[in-house]
Order: sequence, then C-alpha cells, then structure tokens
Amino acid sequence: MSLILKRTLATAAETLTKTPIEPKLVDVLIVGGGPAGLTLTAGLKNSKIAKELKISVIEGFNLSSVKTFHDETPSNFSNRVSSLTPQSIKYLQKIGAWNHIKEERVQPYDGIVVTEGISDATLNFDSPELATMCENVNLQSSLYQRIKELQGQETNEEFGLEIKDNTKVIEITKDPFNQWPIVHLDNGETYKTRLLVGADGFNSPVRKFSGIQSHGWFYKRFGVVSTLTLEYSPFRSIGWQRFLPTGPIALLPMPGNQATLVWSQTIELSELLSKTEPELFVQLVNGAFILSDADMQYYYGQIRKGKTEGLIEDIKWRISKVQKHLTEDQIEDQYPVLATSVEPRSIARFPLRLSHAETYVADRIALVGDAAHTTHPLAGQGLNMGQGDVQSLVKAIEKGMQRGLDIGNTLVLEPYWAERFPVNHLLLGVVDKLHKLYSFSNAPVVALRSFGVNALNSLSFVKDFMVSKVSGNK
Amino acid sequence: MIKSPNVVRQLKHVSRITSQISSKRLLSTSPILRHQDKKTSTSQDEMDHFNQLASTWWDVNGPQRILHKMNLLRMDFIQSTLRENIPLNEGVLNKEEEIYVPGYSLDLLPEQIRNAIVHEQESKRDQVISQMPKYKILDIGCGGGILTESLARLPTVESVKGIDLSTDVLEAAKLHKALDPALTDKISYQLMPIEDISKSEKYDIITMFEMLEHVNFPSEVLGSALSHLKPNGWLFISTINRDFISWFTTIFMGEYVLNIVPKGTHHLEKYINESEVQDWFKEKPQFEVVKSEGCMYLPFKGWVYSGNASVGNYFMAIRRVK
Ligand SMILES: Cc1cc2nc3c(=O)[nH]c(=O)nc-3n(C[C@H](O)[C@H](O)[C@H](O)COP(=O)(O)OP(=O)(O)OC[C@H]3O[C@@H](n4cnc5c(N)ncnc54)[C@H](O)[C@@H]3O)c2cc1C
Ligand SMILES: C[S@@+](CC[C@H](N)C(=O)[O-])C[C@H]1O[C@@H](n2cnc3c(N)ncnc32)[C@H](O)[C@@H]1O
Repeated sequence: MSLILKRTLATAAETLTKTPIEPKLVDVLIVGGGPAGLTLTAGLKNSKIAKELKISVIEGFNLSSVKTFHDETPSNFSNRVSSLTPQSIKYLQKIGAWNHIKEERVQPYDGIVVTEGISDATLNFDSPELATMCENVNLQSSLYQRIKELQGQETNEEFGLEIKDNTKVIEITKDPFNQWPIVHLDNGETYKTRLLVGADGFNSPVRKFSGIQSHGWFYKRFGVVSTLTLEYSPFRSIGWQRFLPTGPIALLPMPGNQATLVWSQTIELSELLSKTEPELFVQLVNGAFILSDADMQYYYGQIRKGKTEGLIEDIKWRISKVQKHLTEDQIEDQYPVLATSVEPRSIARFPLRLSHAETYVADRIALVGDAAHTTHPLAGQGLNMGQGDVQSLVKAIEKGMQRGLDIGNTLVLEPYWAERFPVNHLLLGVVDKLHKLYSFSNAPVVALRSFGVNALNSLSFVKDFMVSKVSGNK
Repeated sequence: MIKSPNVVRQLKHVSRITSQISSKRLLSTSPILRHQDKKTSTSQDEMDHFNQLASTWWDVNGPQRILHKMNLLRMDFIQSTLRENIPLNEGVLNKEEEIYVPGYSLDLLPEQIRNAIVHEQESKRDQVISQMPKYKILDIGCGGGILTESLARLPTVESVKGIDLSTDVLEAAKLHKALDPALTDKISYQLMPIEDISKSEKYDIITMFEMLEHVNFPSEVLGSALSHLKPNGWLFISTINRDFISWFTTIFMGEYVLNIVPKGTHHLEKYINESEVQDWFKEKPQFEVVKSEGCMYLPFKGWVYSGNASVGNYFMAIRRVK
C-alpha cells in the first residue's frame, strides 16, 4: 500500500520537474555549421520557393572565426583547405555566396603531377581549370556573409533563421503525438522540427538517432595537414601528388609562395610527424617528394630512436644529390618547389575513413555531407560531394513545396537520395580502389601500376575521363 | 506473387468486360435510388470499401502508395494549369509595360531570346500571383486528405473544405490534419454529399480526384459541383477511361497481380471515358475544357503523362468562362 503510494508520488514529482518548456517549432533544423550545413542554409534562404521556411542551425563549436573572417581576416592560411570543383563553385555563385569569398586567398590550379614513389612513373592531369584551393573557413565565411546579406534584403519583419553556435545537440527524441523529431540542446533548450537535417559530420548524431546504418572502414591512416612556405612562388599553378607505400602525399598551391599539405600516413608515423620539430618536418616533406622510400624509412627509424641530430642536413644533401644531374627545367617539371618553413601551429592530423550510409533519408530526416559519406582525401572530393548533396536536397525540397507536400515526407526526400547515392557510391569506390592500388609495394603490383600510369598518360581520353571526375564535370 | 485463382477468375470476366466497355456511362441517369437517398451519392459497398482503408490511408508505403504517388503529378498538373492561365497583361494601360507574348511557339526563337522572354514572363507571373486574392477551394471526395493537405499548404491558397461520405476515412483525414500545425486554420472537413452544400457557397477551385468512377450518377455529381464554381473558377477532375487497357492496368494488374491497389477499389462498369466528359461539356457553353492529359503509372518511375487522354487514367481542367 505504502509502496504504491510512494511510487505514485515519485512519478508525480518526476513529471513536475521534468515538464520542459514548450519546444521551439521550426521547419528545418540543421545540425552542423560546417561547409555542408551552411551551404544548405544559404541555398534554402536564397530560394524563391523555400525561403519562407523557418530554419535553425545548431553548431557545437564556436563559429567566431567564421563570423569575423570577413572583416578581420587573419594573415596566415588555415590548415583546413579543400579543393573546390568548378561545379561546386558554380553552385556557390548561383546562390550568391561566391561574391563574398576572399579571392586573394583562393588559388585555382590547372593540373596535378602524379608520381609514383617506387618506380617514378608520372601522370599529368591537365585541364583549363581543374579546381580551386580554398580554406574551409573562407568558404564558410562567404556563406555566412551571404546569409547576412539575404537577411538584410528581406522585407518581411521575420527572416526565419537562427544560427546558434557553441551549442551541442545532446539528445534527439520523437514527439509522441505527431512523431516529429525533438532536439535537445546542452543549454536546456528543445526544438521540434518538421525536417531534421544531419550536416553533422562523420559521427553524425542525427544518423545515429535515425537508425540509418553506415558501412565502411578506417584506412588505418591519418591525414597530416599543414601550411608550408616555399622557396619562391611557383611559375605554374599545379598540384603535386606522390603515391608512397604508406599512402599519397599531396602538396597543393595556395596564393604566392604558400602551399597546403595533405600527407596520408600510418597511425604511428602520423603521430611521430606531428611531434617532429618544424624544421625537420619541412625537410621530411621535401624528401618524401624526391627521395626513395628506403631513404625515408631510414629517417623515420632515426626519429623513432630520437637521433634527429644532423638529419636535416642529411636530407638536404641527398636531395641535392638527386637533383645534381638535372637541369633547372627538369627539376621544375618533376618536383614541387622546395618548402622552406611550416606554420608550426598548422600541423595537425585527421583519421581517414571510408564510410557510406545505407540511405540518406528517413521519415523527417535527411543526411548531407560527411554525415552520409566520408572518403580518402586523395582525390579531394569529400567536401565537394557534400556540395552536390546540398544542391540536390534543395531541389527536392523546392519541388516538394511546389507540390504542397510536407517537406519531412519521404516522398519529398527520396528523389534526393536516388539522385546522389549512385554518384557518391561510384566516387567512393574509385577513390578506394586508387588508394588500395597504390598501397601495395610488392614488385608485380608496382610494375603493373607504373605501366598503368604510363599507359594512361598516353591515352588522353581515359585521362580526360578521370580529369572530369576529379573536377566534378559530367 | 500471382494469386492464381483470382487471376483465373479475372480472366473469365474478360468476356463480360467487353460488354461493360461498350455501354454509355456518364449520361445514364436511370435513378434507381434503392439504398441511396441522394442523387450525388455512392453505393454502400463502395463506402464500406473505403472505410476499411482509413487506418492505413497515410502510410506512404502502404495500400495507398499509388495514390500518394499520383498526388505528385496531379499537383504539378493543377499548378501548371493555374500558372499558364494567369493573365499577364490584365489592367496594363500602357503598351510599353506589356509583357511580350509572341503569337507563335517560343521554340522557334534563338535560345537566348527565348530564355529572356521566359524569364520575363515568369517574373511577371510571380508578381501577379503575389497580388492575387488567395484561392478558396472545395475538395469533393477528399478521402484521407492527400490532395486536400497539399492544396492547403500552397501559399496561394486561403482555405480548403474537404467533403466525403466515408466516416472512417474522414476521421483519418481529421486526425492527420491535426498532426501538422501549419494546416490548422486552412482545412475544414465535413461529412456530407455535394448537394447539401449551401447554394450560396462559391469556390475559386473545385477538385474531384479519383472519385467519379465510384459514384452512381456522375453527371449529377458533376452538375452539382459546377454550381458552386465562381466565374473564371476551375474544376479539376481525374478519373479512368472505360477500356481494356484500364481494366488491364487498374484492376487486373493493380489489384490482382501486383497488389498495389487495394482489391475492390475499382468497378469497370463505372469508369467514364474522356470523350464522354468532353461531349457532356460541349453542351454547356459556360464551361470550357482547358486541358486534358492522360497519365499512367510506371513501376520505378511513378506517374507520368501518357500523351493520350482517351486511354487509362486522365486529368482534366475545366473553367467557367461565363
Ligand atoms: C585531411 C583532410 C583533407 C581534406 N581535403 C579535402 C579536399 O581537398 N577537398 C574536399 O572536397 N574535401 C576534403 N576533405 C574533406 C572535407 O574536409 C569534409 O568532407 C568536409 O569538411 C565535410 O563537411 P561537412 O559540413 O559535411 O562536415 P563537418 O565539416 O565535419 O561539419 C560537421 C559539423 O557538425 C558539428 N557537430 C557535430 N556533432 C554535433 C552536435 N552533437 N551538436 C552540434 N554540432 C555538431 C561539428 O562541430 C561540425 O562543425 C578533407 C578531409 C580531411 C580529413
Ligand atoms: C479513391 S478515393 C480518392 C480520395 C482523394 N480524392 C484523393 O484522390 O486523394 C475516393 C474517395 O471518394 C469518396 N466518395 C465516393 N463517393 C462519394 C460521393 N458521392 N461524395 C463524396 N465522396 C465520395 C470515397 O469515400 C473516397 O474517400
């Protein structure tokens, strides 16, 4: 008797304290203020049809570097740089964001020289404008400025947009009455939304809530990134990529004598590299493009043992030995301009994964960008795939609204998934195979592969096809 | 997958079907009002059938998936018809400000000029639409409200009244409407036959989708609906031709082989040919059949225009011109 009584009291007390404030009602809640989330926000607010939607963007990190970038532009380049395809740029132009990009900080390039670390076969990708290197923060800032501009142009008293940073999504539940997602934030607020978009990166809490399965694997590699200063500004704006047994190393041009590095390394070496003193780090990068794998393995061994004295000079000496027999023109054709220093705080590492969600949509849920798929950075496609997703999702939402449908309805969202899944799947597969092909170091595979590279070089139509895939043209 | 006894039974019916195909339908007004007390009503069998479907009406992957899919194309049909027929130069006094509408097909023009003309026309349309009074709509035979809700969400629509004779289906419509706060003030549902709507109630748009093939006396239903249309108002309908293709696709394949349409949804003898509707309207000069489009369901693709309104399903747009 008393037990029952206590129990009832407890429940009553619980409901009293737990009774939340009414959740805020929105049409679209976007989790993630990264490249995908902000492009989606600008895309929807720029749309004649979709701009009436009430949107909230929730970002866990501080967006102040994005917000201040336009007026208080930092002098250094950030280490998170992505190559944007002409297709991505075309869309950013269409939604009015590219006008706000800091053009002096982006670098178009028209070719990549791909070499092979063991046999030194070369593959040149050329195209009038292959892609453009752009800091992620520059891109995010242009989107943020565009959103502010649209807000300024709006004549209605309510623009229907809120961007909340420094706020994490901690839980997602469902409204028991109409099954709409309820998003709980770490500041105690709750939102109820017609459509919940996960632009929340690889660990996507939205994907987890929706129960959508994602398949893939960790490459057991980390991407070591940094911003480098070169001896002089290169005459040609091109990228360099060399396939080493541990994965590819890539140096991509930034304005002036700056360049950005993505070096795919084993877990252990990536850790070792990111702890190495900056001067040695720079020489290891130079060495990786010019010296043999055996030389590099020797240096790694010495660093592991803590015997770093004299290594810098040794690397410089070996490099000069290799280049001694070459003319200046030959050097320029075969190797990137040597790096002289690195921005120390720019050295960082990121795990490299392949993953692909089984579907991008469920009832009242859509996933875009890295929340739906992640890829090895060797083809510079990750961010661009997200831009493609956003374009397609905006189109699907517009179409749904023109038909008077509830935009959370799977009938509205399915065309987005149907359009993007096959394209992304193909890309993920190609990139994965390239990675695998180049991670073997046994002789037959290397022979085959350098034969492949040389043959490819003379088969221009195959190359054109690959160029068009890399640059996102159909 | 194939339910053989049913298939065989259906095949046996083919001979009977031929006779059903030939007889006229729309004008048959032999009113045998046995169970029915209203002329615009529907048999009890039909109503029982729809009542059973109420609980799964809104499951887009359930028995009504085909109807949900059809809703996409018919919303396109309604929207494009309304948009194409917006007067671009009404009330423009100054010739200079008129939007250029060439008297020949735009396809004959060079692409750039064509794009410029299209762009100019479209922005003018947007402008005219934004200044127009919003539509008041009557959705007859609204069922669970698939079309009703879509219409109500359009920014150009003020309100939609949905009427139906099936209690359970209308209940499902009301429950579903309550789930979306955006619909609260825009939709009202009522259980009533058309003829009970007060004479003074007039609408800009009346819709009657996938319903005429169920009613006893379609001409009564049509006439009754038209009496509520405002001048320049629109009636949109969809139904099915009474031909072998329709029997084959909607009843034989849809209901019996593929199981994508609930069994007992259709009765061939109640189908109405597009030409019969056209003929019926010819005698009514105050109305004009503005557009008529055949449509069909393709697995993996959904509903598409078929290019032939006299076969299978069709949509029609009728306007009150006087
Ligand atoms: C080393 C490296 C190099 C790369 N180089 C290229 C390249 O050259 N070209 C290219 O196209 N791509 C490249 N990429 C990939 C590219 O960086 C990503 O694809 C891109 O950043 C994904 O953008 P996104 O907006 O989908 O996700 P993210 O940038 O991961 O953004 C997700 C956001 O969601 C937020 N978030 C997550 N959880 C929560 C939560 N619970 N509450 C609130 N907010 C949350 C996060 O804070 C984050 O800001 C590279 C990646 C790596 C690792
Ligand atoms: C196939 S459903 C179509 C529903 C809705 N119009 C749509 O297309 O989504 C046919 C509906 O018409 C209704 N109906 C049939 N005869 C009717 C009548 N005489 N008056 C009103 N509704 C009727 C049925 O109850 C059923 O809900």
